[in-house]
Amino acid sequence: MKNYILFVSEAFWNTLKGLWVTLKVLFLPAITVQYPTEKLVPYPRFRGMLAYDAEACIACGMCVRACPSKCIALAKAMPVPQQELCSSSGQPVSPEGKRVPKIEWYTIDYGRCNFCGLCEEACPTKTKALWHSLDFEAVFSTREEMTRRWKRGDDLWGTARRSADGQFSAVADQIHIQDVPVRK
Amino acid sequence: MTQESSTALKTGQMFINFGPQHPSTHGVLRIALTVEGEVVVKADPDVGYLHRGIEKLFEARNYSQGLILTDRLDYVSAMPNNLAYCLAVERLAAVQPPLRAQYLRVMVSELTRIASHLVFFGTFSVDMGAFTPFLYAFREREMILDLFEMLCGGRLLYSYIRVGGVSADCPAGWEEKCGEFITFFKPRLKDYDTLLSFNPIFKDRTANVGRISAAQALSWGLSGPNLRASGPDYDVRKAEPYCVYDKLDFTVPTGKTGSCWDRYYCRMLEMGQSAEIVLQCLDALAGTACLPAGRELPPGEIMAKGVPKILKPPAGQAYAHIEASRGDLGFYAVSDGSPTPYRMHVRGPSFLNVAILQEILAGCKIADVVAVLGSFDIVLGEVDR
Ligand code: SF4
Ligand code: SF4
Repeated sequence: MKNYILFVSEAFWNTLKGLWVTLKVLFLPAITVQYPTEKLVPYPRFRGMLAYDAEACIACGMCVRACPSKCIALAKAMPVPQQELCSSSGQPVSPEGKRVPKIEWYTIDYGRCNFCGLCEEACPTKTKALWHSLDFEAVFSTREEMTRRWKRGDDLWGTARRSADGQFSAVADQIHIQDVPVRK
Repeated sequence: MTQESSTALKTGQMFINFGPQHPSTHGVLRIALTVEGEVVVKADPDVGYLHRGIEKLFEARNYSQGLILTDRLDYVSAMPNNLAYCLAVERLAAVQPPLRAQYLRVMVSELTRIASHLVFFGTFSVDMGAFTPFLYAFREREMILDLFEMLCGGRLLYSYIRVGGVSADCPAGWEEKCGEFITFFKPRLKDYDTLLSFNPIFKDRTANVGRISAAQALSWGLSGPNLRASGPDYDVRKAEPYCVYDKLDFTVPTGKTGSCWDRYYCRMLEMGQSAEIVLQCLDALAGTACLPAGRELPPGEIMAKGVPKILKPPAGQAYAHIEASRGDLGFYAVSDGSPTPYRMHVRGPSFLNVAILQEILAGCKIADVVAVLGSFDIVLGEVDR
């Protein structure tokens, strides 16, 4: 009986000590962030959603080879006959008139992506054509949407196939933490 | 009478599946329990629900791509996995990482150890019915994750330690932030002791439960805090120092009885030691202490020179093991001279730690199963691989 009372009083005393610890925290500023009304901005090295710039890409395929999950696929633009090159306006031509290899289409399957950053490290272009933005809010509602496709002229987030009609279109309802993702 | 016999209570053994979806198994582990009343007669841990064939996947990737897989083994403490893998591959390819990278490696490993033990502290207290410590543990862990995010961009799966060094030097202000965290963290350990460690209710629930003798622990091949709680002070950081652990000053806490409380408290003490190691590494990075005479850590030198992008180590084999958060983690790499490993074997500490459950759970009360299991701090990603 005596032991029991001792134990209860000791437990009670220790609970009070524990409550003292929690009481001290009560008067500290809250550390909770009220997401989605408040948002933290990640640090510059954060590996978020991949952004891709079709204008800067030289279609070298280094990212395809670096990726451990084989989520990237691309097709180079078809070579253009010489005479057409001079006349047509849309084709990329370097100052010497040599054709620069450019991208026809470029896809990333986010369903398999590890967000590891190896593709970004492998990209040889000076301003990275493919880089991890700070966006952490990507949401995919269908499996098809997870494969993003870029063509020249698309924005940094690419297009996804709609299951309803099979057309590629810009991804609706996607919130981005920053409109212009940092480029490393 | 017939009615009487049909309503009479039957006694006998009963079979219960504990898991695989039980929240206290911390993953997908099934323990097949045979119970007689409240007492467990037989327990069979059944693993394999999270098997992803990672060892085989290594064989289809080159050495820099394989690193990404190691994060997925013990996802609660990914840095030591990167480290063990890189040490094995470096031994295979005879690469020597620069000293600055070695200090950074040790520092991030110890920070991960703190983060991982904090997860243990939080979840173990929830298992034992105390919710507040969980919130405190995750508050501190968040700070470490922020540090890692600043350093390498990942919050859980880092891929920071690379073959030949680390992927990036610390950004501006990182070292100060790290120092601030340690200053904040060290007094918190006392709070944890007040909240949980020496609370008589918690002690009653864990002390003398699931006791493992030193001989038992050794014969079942336990490692890490689970082994040290039983008495033996085997720690790879002391026994076979890797990186710069031989230049650092720290002690290896051990327990006496090998009960759940000892395993718990061993980890709490380890967190304090890890904080000391981080401080020493910070001093070394700032160029003030524990460097060999005449050496300085040149800023920015974080990668060994001449490591090719596609590594082709000469044919051979290498084994490297480290003291990860959960114990002795080893990677065994076999190369046939091609860019992909011929075989990669992982010695995961959790897998070996889970095996002893069948011996010590027998004879426990059902309520203690959760306490014993929680005190082992297993991660199923590493058990099943
Ligand atoms: S982040 Fe990693 S997994 Fe994702 S596309 Fe790039 S290389 Fe592949
Ligand atoms: S994204 Fe970079 S690495 Fe990939 S094809 Fe384009 S230029 Fe090459």
